[in-house]
Amino acid sequence: MNTTEMPVQSAQTLIKSTLAAGVLAAIMLATVILPAEYNIDPTGIGSALGLTELNSQEQEIAVPEVVQRGEQSFAYRTDTTTIEVPAGRGIEYKFQLDKYGHLEYEWVTESGELYFDFHGEPTGDTTGYFESFAIATANKMSGSLTTPFDGSHGWYWKNNGQESVKITLKTKGFYEVIGLKQ
Amino acid sequence: MLNSLKTVFGLMTLIAGMVISIPLFAHGVDDATKTFLAGNEGVSIIPFLYIGAKHMVTGYDHLLFLVGVIFFLYRSKDVLIYVSFFTLGHSLTLLFGVLNDTHVNAYLIDAIIGLSIVYKGFDNLGGFKRVFGFQPNTKAAVLIFGLFHGFGLATKLQEFKLSSDGLVENILAFNVGVEIGQFVALLFILLAINYWRRFDSFLRFSTMTNTLLMSGGLMLVGYQMTGYFVG
Repeated sequence: MNTTEMPVQSAQTLIKSTLAAGVLAAIMLATVILPAEYNIDPTGIGSALGLTELNSQEQEIAVPEVVQRGEQSFAYRTDTTTIEVPAGRGIEYKFQLDKYGHLEYEWVTESGELYFDFHGEPTGDTTGYFESFAIATANKMSGSLTTPFDGSHGWYWKNNGQESVKITLKTKGFYEVIGLKQ
Repeated sequence: MLNSLKTVFGLMTLIAGMVISIPLFAHGVDDATKTFLAGNEGVSIIPFLYIGAKHMVTGYDHLLFLVGVIFFLYRSKDVLIYVSFFTLGHSLTLLFGVLNDTHVNAYLIDAIIGLSIVYKGFDNLGGFKRVFGFQPNTKAAVLIFGLFHGFGLATKLQEFKLSSDGLVENILAFNVGVEIGQFVALLFILLAINYWRRFDSFLRFSTMTNTLLMSGGLMLVGYQMTGYFVG
């Protein structure tokens, strides 16, 4: 018993069935399956049905996002300055940066350590709010900052020693120098 | 004539919709299972049994092929014989594939599995008798396609770098799980088809059902071949 008892269709039925199967498969592939599975959408119906979303999202996640910089109004620049903090006094040195602005910095004292608060204050804020990025006592610091908001960013240094301390500060990035405050 | 065509297309769309509403499972293995498989060391019979069974119950391409195979089998003895041939085929290649570390492109294998469904649908319409004047050995066909299905299973299992510790036991457990899953799925399909056979509509709609089977197979072929060229 090699064969099963299946009815043999007429040639006409066979052709009709085969064609119908092919046409249906082609339609489903073009309008639904390929848009949903591969984001290939030759007819535009897939995206109209929202099916292309299934795979376009996946691609968005897969590609690492470039940091959002937005509009930057300041040009790229590099600076080196020397700042003197008198004995027993505190001073502030600031830069104006846009939101998501970038600042690379490196500072070192000639001798001795300073207490500092590296922070930013939002532009237009009148409540006295500021955000500290780092608070420590050290004789040097280096790193980079991508600002969380538009405003003045920089250091408050306090010299608790008996002698004045000189700082050499090197910066590069997209900013404007405000300089010494107070 | 026009009315029956309308019915046919309506039903086709309905079934096609059912078929493609689950392609996200396709043959994939979900994330939790993936984590388990990648981290597994040593013999874990029950989990591999379960994964194998789940794979079969949710693997609609195997199920479509089974529907095609048992569509015109009226006696349970015949069902048993044919399913045994299919099982023999895919057990051989599953074991051989994993143990021998044979890598076959998953898209191509899955496209062939799609073709096996098209083949069976066409066969059920008496297409080979009508077009070529003879009936290819149906048992041999089931065995050969079983071999391809097994390679598909092997390829899926190999995607996770399975630990060689307890590998043979685990593959055997997976294979037994596949049989259990196939058996469970088959029970439901048989119940449905046997019930349907009692009505006149069975023969009236058999042409349509097998046309749909062919169409589903073609969709799988198109889906997998596109993946082969794009992915």
